[in-house]
Amino acid sequence: MAERIGVYVCKCGPNIGDKVDVDAIVDDVKGIEGVATAKSHNLLCSADGLEFLKSEIEGEKLTRVVVAACTPKMYEQKLMRACEEAGLNPFLMQMTNIREQCAWVTPDKALATRKARSLVMAAINRAPLLEPIERKEIEVQADVLVVGGGVAGLEACLSLAQKGRKVYLVEKSPCIGGLAARFEEVYPTMECAPCMIAPELQEVLQKENIEVFTHSEVEETLGSFGNFSVKIRRKARYVSEEACIGCGACFEPCPVEVSNEYDEGLSKRKAIYVPFAGALPNVPVIDKDNCKRFKGEECRACEQACPFGAISFDDKDEVIERKVGAIILATGATLLDPKALPQYGYGKLDNVVTALQLERLNASNGPTGGKVLLKNGKEPKSIAFVFCVGRKEKEYCSGICCMYSIKLAHIMREKLPDAKLYCFYSDICVPKKEHQQWYDRVVDQGVEFIRSNGTVAVTADKGKLAVKHGTDSSGKTVSVDMVVLAPAVEPSSDIEKLAGILDTSRDDHGFFCEEHALMKPFATALEGVFAVGSCQGPKDIGDAVAQAGAAAGRVLSRLVPGEKLALEPMVAVVDEDLCSGCKTCILLCPYSAITRDKEKGTSVVDEALCRGCGTCVAACPSGAITAKQFTREQILAEIKGVAK
Amino acid sequence: MKEPTIVGFLCNWCSYEGADRAGDARLEYPANIRTVRVMCSGRVEPEFVLHAFREGASGVLILGCHPGDCHYKMGNYKARRRISLLKKTLEQLGIEPERVRLDWVAAGEGERFAKVANEMADTIKGLGPLELS
Ligand code: FES
Repeated sequence: MAERIGVYVCKCGPNIGDKVDVDAIVDDVKGIEGVATAKSHNLLCSADGLEFLKSEIEGEKLTRVVVAACTPKMYEQKLMRACEEAGLNPFLMQMTNIREQCAWVTPDKALATRKARSLVMAAINRAPLLEPIERKEIEVQADVLVVGGGVAGLEACLSLAQKGRKVYLVEKSPCIGGLAARFEEVYPTMECAPCMIAPELQEVLQKENIEVFTHSEVEETLGSFGNFSVKIRRKARYVSEEACIGCGACFEPCPVEVSNEYDEGLSKRKAIYVPFAGALPNVPVIDKDNCKRFKGEECRACEQACPFGAISFDDKDEVIERKVGAIILATGATLLDPKALPQYGYGKLDNVVTALQLERLNASNGPTGGKVLLKNGKEPKSIAFVFCVGRKEKEYCSGICCMYSIKLAHIMREKLPDAKLYCFYSDICVPKKEHQQWYDRVVDQGVEFIRSNGTVAVTADKGKLAVKHGTDSSGKTVSVDMVVLAPAVEPSSDIEKLAGILDTSRDDHGFFCEEHALMKPFATALEGVFAVGSCQGPKDIGDAVAQAGAAAGRVLSRLVPGEKLALEPMVAVVDEDLCSGCKTCILLCPYSAITRDKEKGTSVVDEALCRGCGTCVAACPSGAITAKQFTREQILAEIKGVAK
Repeated sequence: MKEPTIVGFLCNWCSYEGADRAGDARLEYPANIRTVRVMCSGRVEPEFVLHAFREGASGVLILGCHPGDCHYKMGNYKARRRISLLKKTLEQLGIEPERVRLDWVAAGEGERFAKVANEMADTIKGLGPLELS
């Protein structure tokens, strides 16, 4: 059947009307084969215009529509809807832009008219080749993936689970709770951190609709908002979570001793271990890199000691696939390694420690049972806290170091009432309603604050440490037993890998980049992917939890179970008969949307993953792939029109 | 005299918008520049360029998002490889490779679009119409 094309040229008031001889074009195209009618209109996008278009489609029994008007970015959707209402598949309308890309850039009316005519001709050439496309919908996945089991991740899990959402929590370490679980007291409430988060940890582990994967990593994510498919690698633990009761009988007999990273290197642990006393889940893990058995030696010490047969050296990594609708990243942060800044002597001088190391010394589940001791086993008589370590190099203020250093100074004041305490600072940053009082309080308690403006240098001094500050000529020196560094907060080491997997961007400092610093500080630019807590920028516990709550709220309001998600209509399709199975397209697809049908030996496009870029279409050596709405024939026809 | 035409393939997400911004700002460029919208510069097949020449164009512009900014991650890199290969082939066919230009214009870069369009028009004017035997 011959097509009946209706051509409509919009004057857009004077915008096109004064610059292009619209009526001349209409007259010119009237005689063209297939053109059933051609008309101009003063303002097609108006309510009147849309009604006019609908009545034309119906009255003229049009099978194709060409609209020459403004940029399709403005009203293409509106016009498509009008077509649909008039019973015409909306993809059978072809628009061409004679305003932004013609009338407005071409002052000479004759030239503008000639250009507009060629654009309209191109659209008319293309129109008969258009094909109807059905819009497809899928039901949204309302389940959520949370990456990182620190305070922010926990909050996100619980908020979502409370509303009945299924949540998958992936945590890379063998236990959940993050950094906070390893602190004794937290500011500004100065309460016991393990006591504060223990109920949350228990709830997360016990809630039926939260599935916790510890010692696990996200390996792959595909898809988009409402329709992600994720692969989680659950690393072999070699200890069965079901059979183990956490008695700890396996630790003693293990002959291996290595530095314990969960005590910041201040203690030793075995090759089978739990990170620290009270870590949850209370199930040990075998550190494969250090275990004798995995180094080829015949050792079964732990296996023999386990009364419950919970140890299995044959355990294998497992890759688990889950479907989710949204992803909340809460991978936290770490502290800059001060070895990078040799002036502080960290790593070279005894008793120069980081704030995290002091946290562990102070913790009752730490290496000294909560006693703050020097390397020689004695209590320090003087401690210097150095603030802002690495701030200049990092070019940002981490915002939490002043307050946690003040907290530690306060705790040391109570623990070591006779010790002399100094704080070397550049600027004091204590911006919240509860914080200033702690600064005032430690000053009252006799902690001496010295403004050193980043000039501190630490050297050994007859068994003690000399803290020099000030510029060379006017420099002064304070002699102390212990130096505590407050290094800048930086994203944890796996953030780069994760950003690569998810294709989310990071800011200049390496943190996940937020969609908008003020209005959407918890979202990334990728719809359905959120970044909360310190992986988005340094934060204290309260701020991390608040951000996690905001993201969870956003997920609950945007990702509603049962709602439908429109799929990209303009996807690629493979013609099985033409496909030679060369796999070029599979390698090129940026969304891993193409797979190989093993039986047929040809490529198949997953419509839920394809976004319609057309890269595969252009690359296919057999011409077997078609991009809907941008087919080769359609584009060639359009070229023919404009090239003349 | 009728000026030789230049066909411009613009990616939907950046360069097409850039061209629209040039229009918003009423920046002028020659009317022989005619645009075709594609979803991504990575969609442009060498065949499109050859077809444009066969149908009477004397120059072809392919514009995409800046490197690293492609809406589909990598399409513009694919375009870059494809077009540089095409240029070598054109040379062998006796067609000046300058008749094809691949460049980047971001969604906000109306001025840049107009500049690239004007430069291309000058280049083609300099080369004269393409005569295919
Ligand atoms: S979308 Fe612009 S180049 Fe790919």
